[in-house]
Amino acid sequence: MNEELDSQLSAMFDDELPPAECELLARRLSRDELLKARWGRYAVVGAVIRAERGVRLNARLAGRVNAAISSEPALGEVGVAARAPRAALRWWQPVAGAAVAAGVAAVSVLWLRTQAPQAPLAAARGEAANVEVSCLGAGCGGRSYVNPPTPLVRPMVVPSTQLANYVVAHSMVAPPVARRNLLSAFMTSEAAAEAQESQANVPAPAH
Amino acid sequence: MGADASDLSLVRRVQRGDKGAFDALVLKYQHKLVKLVMRYVRNPAEAEDIAQEAFIKAYRALPQFRGDSAFYTWLYRIAINTAKNAVVSRDRSPVEYELDRHSNDESYDMQGRMKDSETPEGLVLTDEIRSTVNAAIDALPEDLRTAIVLRELEGLSYEEIAAAMDCPVGTVRSRIFRAREAIDKRLREVFEGGLGRAEELG
Repeated sequence: MNEELDSQLSAMFDDELPPAECELLARRLSRDELLKARWGRYAVVGAVIRAERGVRLNARLAGRVNAAISSEPALGEVGVAARAPRAALRWWQPVAGAAVAAGVAAVSVLWLRTQAPQAPLAAARGEAANVEVSCLGAGCGGRSYVNPPTPLVRPMVVPSTQLANYVVAHSMVAPPVARRNLLSAFMTSEAAAEAQESQANVPAPAH
Repeated sequence: MGADASDLSLVRRVQRGDKGAFDALVLKYQHKLVKLVMRYVRNPAEAEDIAQEAFIKAYRALPQFRGDSAFYTWLYRIAINTAKNAVVSRDRSPVEYELDRHSNDESYDMQGRMKDSETPEGLVLTDEIRSTVNAAIDALPEDLRTAIVLRELEGLSYEEIAAAMDCPVGTVRSRIFRAREAIDKRLREVFEGGLGRAEELG
């Protein structure tokens, strides 16, 4: 046994050895039975100096503990077995995260697609309402011809093909003065009738 | 020096599957742990059983030990809990070791021995070890004896001993090592002969 090694062992026992040297010596200590026996005797010397009465210095405690744990699996094996599922989980975590993110993105895109056609319609409704309000504010005296008053729920009037052909033919043969679009006339007459109705419903201002 | 670096290096080896490193930890702390447990149970044989159980519990729990506290502090807590549980399960009142320290040391020794299930040969061997170490310490040169006593009895660090003895830390390390070597030389003879006898006696 060389003296330097024993000196290191003594310093390590007192926790006065640098950590790097401790690592090396711990490795040797765990394998070298002679070194371990010396280490055990250092502990006995300390126990005697501290006068630890009642403590049996020839105790076979270390041997009994050694025998008890020899049947147990080494901690490194337990650690590896316990870490294996964790490692697999660690591998799956980014994949699972990406899958969740992709799912959320897909749902968002689908939702936006279902909402997209309604958005311009809602905007048009808003614009129509604004124009109507501004027109009323400017004293137009009723609903505008350009902005039909109830476009929201009223079904669109689509002239039949036969009527459309008649209108076109009439426009071509009618004199310019009388070249009024029948459909326009129909719509203006209808709008005028509605305006009259609304004016009749408005209560007279109190004096 | 890193605090608890030597214990931690052994603990890390155990955590990597080196059972031999745990032997070193048991050898280092077995006497301290038995003394600690004897605050709760007076019988040395019973104290050793509890200490053994505490060491096994510590071994099984070592994967959870992260080194936030010193190893011995952690082991100490395990031993205290094991001792308390043992006392409760055996329906005994804890016996404080401190109470016995007020009494005569000789009568304490006799009391302990009366309840000790150890063989007379084992008791003789313990006495032989104790007297050998004490004789070896008495035979040491003054500077070596002071260094080893300050370390083991007072628990001073090498730096504190160096300040107390007005010498470099390296000298303290050398003195303590030489003191241990001198004691160990005589102790080895007792162990090699004595423990062999004890094993034969079973």
